Amino acid sequence: MSDLAAPAPAAAPTTTPGGPRAYTLPRNLSRRLGRSDRSQLAIWFWELDRVLLSLILMLIAIGLIAVQAASPATARRLSTATEILSPLYFFYRQLGWVIVGLGFMFVVSMLPKREARRLAIIMASVCLVLLMLVPIFGNTVNGAKRWIGYGIGIQPSEFLKPAFAVTLAWIISLRIKDPTLPVLRLSALLTGVIAFLLMRQPDLGQTIMFIGIWFTLMLLAGLSMQVVAAGVGAGALGMTAAYFFYPVATQRINGWLFGGGEYDQVMFAHKTLTGGGLIGTGPGLGTHKFNLPEAHTDYIFSVIGEEFGLLACAAIALVYFAIIVRVCMRLLDERDLFTILAVTGLTAQLGGQAFINIAVNLQLFPSKGMTLPFISYGGSSMIALSIGAGLLLSLTRRNPFEDRTLLGQDWSRG
Amino acid sequence: MTALASGSHRVRLASKRQHMTLTAQVRLVAVLALFGIGVGAILLRLTFIGVFGEQAQAATRSALVDPGRGDIVDRNGVPLARTINGYAIRVVPERLIGDRKVLAGKLAQIFPDTSEERFLKLLSRTKPTYLRHRAVPEEVNRVHALGEVGIEFPREKERFYPQLQLAAHVLGYVHPDGHGVSGMERAMDAELIDPKLRLTPSALSIDIRVQAALEDELGRAMKSYDAKAAAGVVLDVETGEVMAMTSLPSFNPNQFDASSAAFEANQVTYRFFELGSTFKPLTVAAAIDAGTVTDLSRRYDASRPLRVGGFQIRDSHSSGRWLNVPETLVHSSNIVTAQIADELGPERLQAVMRKLHFDRPAEINLRETVKPLWPASWGRLTNMTVGYGHGIAVSPLHLASAYAAMVNGGVYRPATLLKLAPRDVPRGERVFKASTSARMNQLLRMIVRDGTGRKAEAPGFRVGGKTGSAEKPGAGGYKRSSVVATFAAVFPMDAPRFVVLIMIDEPAGNQASSFQRTAGWTAAPVVARLVPRIGPMLGIIPDDRRDVDVSELMPLLWKAPVKAAAKTKSEDPA
Repeated sequence: MSDLAAPAPAAAPTTTPGGPRAYTLPRNLSRRLGRSDRSQLAIWFWELDRVLLSLILMLIAIGLIAVQAASPATARRLSTATEILSPLYFFYRQLGWVIVGLGFMFVVSMLPKREARRLAIIMASVCLVLLMLVPIFGNTVNGAKRWIGYGIGIQPSEFLKPAFAVTLAWIISLRIKDPTLPVLRLSALLTGVIAFLLMRQPDLGQTIMFIGIWFTLMLLAGLSMQVVAAGVGAGALGMTAAYFFYPVATQRINGWLFGGGEYDQVMFAHKTLTGGGLIGTGPGLGTHKFNLPEAHTDYIFSVIGEEFGLLACAAIALVYFAIIVRVCMRLLDERDLFTILAVTGLTAQLGGQAFINIAVNLQLFPSKGMTLPFISYGGSSMIALSIGAGLLLSLTRRNPFEDRTLLGQDWSRG
Repeated sequence: MTALASGSHRVRLASKRQHMTLTAQVRLVAVLALFGIGVGAILLRLTFIGVFGEQAQAATRSALVDPGRGDIVDRNGVPLARTINGYAIRVVPERLIGDRKVLAGKLAQIFPDTSEERFLKLLSRTKPTYLRHRAVPEEVNRVHALGEVGIEFPREKERFYPQLQLAAHVLGYVHPDGHGVSGMERAMDAELIDPKLRLTPSALSIDIRVQAALEDELGRAMKSYDAKAAAGVVLDVETGEVMAMTSLPSFNPNQFDASSAAFEANQVTYRFFELGSTFKPLTVAAAIDAGTVTDLSRRYDASRPLRVGGFQIRDSHSSGRWLNVPETLVHSSNIVTAQIADELGPERLQAVMRKLHFDRPAEINLRETVKPLWPASWGRLTNMTVGYGHGIAVSPLHLASAYAAMVNGGVYRPATLLKLAPRDVPRGERVFKASTSARMNQLLRMIVRDGTGRKAEAPGFRVGGKTGSAEKPGAGGYKRSSVVATFAAVFPMDAPRFVVLIMIDEPAGNQASSFQRTAGWTAAPVVARLVPRIGPMLGIIPDDRRDVDVSELMPLLWKAPVKAAAKTKSEDPA
């Protein structure tokens, strides 16, 4: 299972005959990370999916610009008579979180596949325990108990998401070793427990995400089409049930279907999104954003729309899609089932959350309370996402010189 | 056996693994397709919003800086009228949560000018109601601090006049519906709201520094002479651009209310007066131009009142002797001017008055202009009284434009409140010969040097001009006590650049004016104070070594012998 090539001994320090061993700088610094470089870092670099890394970094950069645009709106909203927040308060904080997050991402991406999986399973267990503790120790923010810890709060469900995808992939792939394992029931039980805990907070958006990840992985694991159809039906039924029995969902779906009042956040978001036309008003010139609650988190996509235009919005949607396409195309010649499942789970989670958030901003979906990955403000979520991206990068690493056969050709080899 | 079994088990496992991997990959393509559909839906929706969205067209970059109504600036770019984003305070009664009575009380504390009952009434309506327009941020903060969710603070475009009451009549003001009511706001309404033109400010001909000096000096004079009203205008004689124009008392266009309405009329353009003796130079110029006066030293009988029909023309301060032409203007003799007008004849005087546009509303961009009181029949007597400024009533701006034509070489140009580029200056219409104009410049200077306009002298600025003290017509004839004191000044007289017209309505004499009401004592000193203030701003540098050459005419002024000098000195300018 270990995919990391055995590290070659680092280039021995040059020795002068008869003299003491002297350390000298490499003669040609550009050799560093060159193909002849055998150091750990160089191997990591050559195994890494650098296109994927670039796309993720691009998202983070877009996110910093967007938070910079949205920061004044929220800073003004949260300022009080006694304490006035600097307009770029949230930008500077986000900058800090991005630096911390990037550290996490690079460290996790360097883990060998086995270690990465182990990390995810441990993280999932810890987060599950924390999630159970939330109802007891949690803090209530905006009417929902989702946060734990004092001072810097963390949202266990954010950290659980990537870990859950990898853990689920691991459980399902166990079937290869022992087909008798009740994988479906085990994974359904795990997902059910998480869903139950999340609905108690309540957090419908995250619940849908977890069930969505589970469903996607089960789909890949070869669930029969009858069951898939039943699952889709159950999902629709669940949404209907939520509409009738979960007041927040009722209100939001009503707002989406019938249009909210004059002062509804959906209307404000729409005005903000369309306020800039195709090319936007220009950075800092947006005015509608100041009416928007949650300008820096759930509705940051609308702020981008106002200041940078609808074309920028389309570009962002395409960057997310590019990540999905890139990852999926590389999985088509992957032979390891666990890798396929785990990477798909992580990607589906990232892309699903992004698309749901964008759809909410575009009024294609009722509002969900879900952030735009890597772009929305949030320390807890930025670090969780960075760990997820680290796992993604770690699991998609592979030997660039290994001969890979395309889908279907595998059979002819026997 | 075991080995075989385990071997086949392993083979089955391997094939199972390959099968599962393949299934996963096939379904992965399906998941990818689902995401593709998702991104397609997002792009479609974005296109839909971008192309068909109602706000997509309106919201452009310029919409954010578009004031909605163009700024007005003075000739140097100083802002006179701007559109700003103000605050309004609005209540949506159905969303009020607190007690309305308590809220009304608190609002009345913040806005002491509105009663609690009034606020309660506004809060008790069912429809959303504005409590306030043009609220300042401080007030908005205090209302916001009341914590009432039913009160909101929409931003509104507000017209703001940063110079307050300065040039109020020139600018006018804007109705809440967004259209100008008076002044340039009304005259330029179409240009100011034109979406293409409103992004660049409109420059007026006004120089706000000159305007401030004019309003200051005129206001001081009005106060000190306890006058009813006052008006003034500074006009460029070469281009017709108005450098300053004021009508006092003034108002603050930022808060136009019932009390301002009384002062809304611009007396420079919208009222006419019999301007009296200030007409005399025009009559003399017409006579010189027509050739009926060829010899300035010729004398006319001013020793006794002139009888025309049943009417007597008299001088307010008779010199009791025969006067030549310069002496006529210097001493402002009605009797001689009437004789000069009579010699000129009604047709020719009328023709000049028409050429000076005295028969139609003053030519200026403002809409607030009035048609002069043109004599119904221009008989011999009317002709003689018009000669010294009675029986005809024009606006002060008419007179200023006529003086500009008289001193600038003889060309009439319409006055304008817009800053003109050199190529836009109208060619004008010739009224007087250039030689006549040069002669008049000498005579006007002599009036200030040695005549009734002595108190208008500003050393170094070569001021010339003519006084006019017209009694106002009242019930049963002219009233001696109510006078319109006018001084039409020009400077510098050696190369005329600006006409300064000062008019004071019903001044009462005071100690400074030796209890005189006449223009020489009331209006002329305003010119003497004003010209040194505005001259340098307008590029006129005081210079003692320059002046118009009047040496050839000076001998024509008869000076009383030294013994009688005291008597001459005390002669009252009229």
